[in-house]
Amino acid sequence: MPSETRSPVEQQELTYLDAVGAALMSEMEADPDVFIIGEDVGQFGGAFKVTKGFLEKFGERRVVDTPIAETGFTGLAAGAALVGLRPVVEFQFADFISCAFDPIINVLARHHYRTGDPMPVTLRAPFGARLRAGPTHSQSVESYFAHVPGLKIVMPGTPQDAAGLLISSIRDNNPVLYLENKYLYRRLKTSEPLRLEPIPLGRANVVREGRDVTLITYSAGVSQGLEVAAELAKDGISVEIVDIRTLVPLDVATITASVRKTSRAVVLHEAALRMGYGAEIAAVVQEECFWHLDQPVARIAARNTPTPTSPPLEDAVVPQPAQIAEVLRKVATA
Amino acid sequence: MPPRARRKPAAKSTPVAERDRDLLLRIHETMVLTRAVEDRMVAMYRGGDLLGSLYTGHWHEAISVGAAAALRPDDYLAPIHRDLGAHLWRGMEPWQVMASFMGKATSPTGGRDGTLHYGRLDLNVYNLPSHIPANFPVAIGMAFAAKYRGEDRVALAFCGDGSTSRADWHESLNIAAVLKLPAVFVIENNQWAYSTPLRLQSASDSFAAKAVAYGMPGTKVDGTDALAVHDEVAEAVARARAGEGPSMVEAVTMRMHGHAEHDPADYVPREMFEEWQKKDPVDLFERVLLDNGVLDDDTAAQIRASARQAAIDARRKALADPMPDPATVEVGVYAE
Repeated sequence: MPSETRSPVEQQELTYLDAVGAALMSEMEADPDVFIIGEDVGQFGGAFKVTKGFLEKFGERRVVDTPIAETGFTGLAAGAALVGLRPVVEFQFADFISCAFDPIINVLARHHYRTGDPMPVTLRAPFGARLRAGPTHSQSVESYFAHVPGLKIVMPGTPQDAAGLLISSIRDNNPVLYLENKYLYRRLKTSEPLRLEPIPLGRANVVREGRDVTLITYSAGVSQGLEVAAELAKDGISVEIVDIRTLVPLDVATITASVRKTSRAVVLHEAALRMGYGAEIAAVVQEECFWHLDQPVARIAARNTPTPTSPPLEDAVVPQPAQIAEVLRKVATA
Repeated sequence: MPPRARRKPAAKSTPVAERDRDLLLRIHETMVLTRAVEDRMVAMYRGGDLLGSLYTGHWHEAISVGAAAALRPDDYLAPIHRDLGAHLWRGMEPWQVMASFMGKATSPTGGRDGTLHYGRLDLNVYNLPSHIPANFPVAIGMAFAAKYRGEDRVALAFCGDGSTSRADWHESLNIAAVLKLPAVFVIENNQWAYSTPLRLQSASDSFAAKAVAYGMPGTKVDGTDALAVHDEVAEAVARARAGEGPSMVEAVTMRMHGHAEHDPADYVPREMFEEWQKKDPVDLFERVLLDNGVLDDDTAAQIRASARQAAIDARRKALADPMPDPATVEVGVYAE
């Protein structure tokens, strides 16, 4: 396992996508057992170009283009992991992960409990809405998998977290579902140098301190929340934002510490409301912080519809800044 | 030359007298032990010793043992629930299998999984889930790892005729052929997938013929003939080891029990059982060894008797072993 600290990547402006690619490349450089497998990841560099240049650098042995066969290559990754490799599987879109539901649930997630053998597989998948891509190209899939014991689920909301959490995911001895928000790929940028160091799974991050209400969120909700919080601050409403970063394992302590401080909690995600991960967070908050709450926990999520293609329709389904601001304002001031 | 599905001419086979005597005896002993353990477990199922149902491999012994015997111990195996013989070949203890069907703490999964799910990775054997052929993609992953590391190990996966209808079967064959992985696929065509007969499973003349369409050699052998299976698999293994990619071997036999012991299989025509009853692979191989002087009658009887005793002893040990402690139930969901 590589332990040395690598020098930070300094570039004018690094995107969320750059961060994913840099972290993956750094792990492949450090560990010869790490390889990337998926559709069009080789000479094409992946549908979103995360693996651009990887084929030239690592060759066909470690950058493996496959037929269109999500079940097949996910199961392949399981077999390779069982005998000591550390596969990173790229799903072209998270929507297609349903084709690999069987090996993820029945082969990857249960294997360690059944046998005690480690199963170090990282499943990378670009997910999410706001790209006008329609009902089968915009899905948030985390809740399908959060119900399954044995999987870890990582959903970074910043470029630095995208890098650090991917490194930890690849080094983890469990199957990790690492979900990349594709709307953020080229929109979310940082001018800070990117540290290619692991960020532990299961530790939430308070990305903004506040006093009136806690916004608990992840992935794109982090940058959305920060923008809205900056606006609300002008009206004297102080929002604390907890980025949970990993859904499984969940850092309950950081969430409850924040809610005990503000006494008000709002959960935000892009997935549909019903049985969304926000339901789990809301339940945890009421179990752990009931006597500290001044208001019921509110949930902001997509409507319980498929994600439509047409802009006015999609905007009506996915949480928008005005809606987020309204809910935060209401919970904070009621 | 493009690969072709073919039947092997019997004449090409090496005469028994010229073969490795120790290997022949070990194949025979393992087949006899497989039968003895499964017969004992059928009685245990009826007597209430076991959890759930019992899946046996009567008439699959020549396939599971014959194929396993064509591999090296460091080759990977991904068997199914008809392949006790392959597990025993690799060194699984009969009591561990019984303990698995009892949910004992000493079973290979400690009671976390159970019944037919008892593969041991320390023997390079995959422990498959119930979703057969989920072992196919896993097996090609093991083959991938061998090729990735430049090792000359091979991965062999078994499945039944029913498995061939699933997407993971197709995807595995296709990926293995495209990536030229060192894999061998053994189709145990036992004519029945639970109650579904072959004619409702596939409209193709053979499964071996499907191999051709994937760009790999496919052959069809008599699955009750241990040497025929062994030789055909050995050829496929040699190709894989030499870097020539995957192959498929279809071994034809009959499922002589129900899908599991709860199933009386009354949907199977009686004449079919009667016909196949004459082709007991364990008896057939014993006869071959007797006819060729590898075995004499006394030794043959002794092998049968010691297998029976081993099954009795295995039951005693498994019965006496402890059940798991419920306080440990949450341990192991995640690896460290």
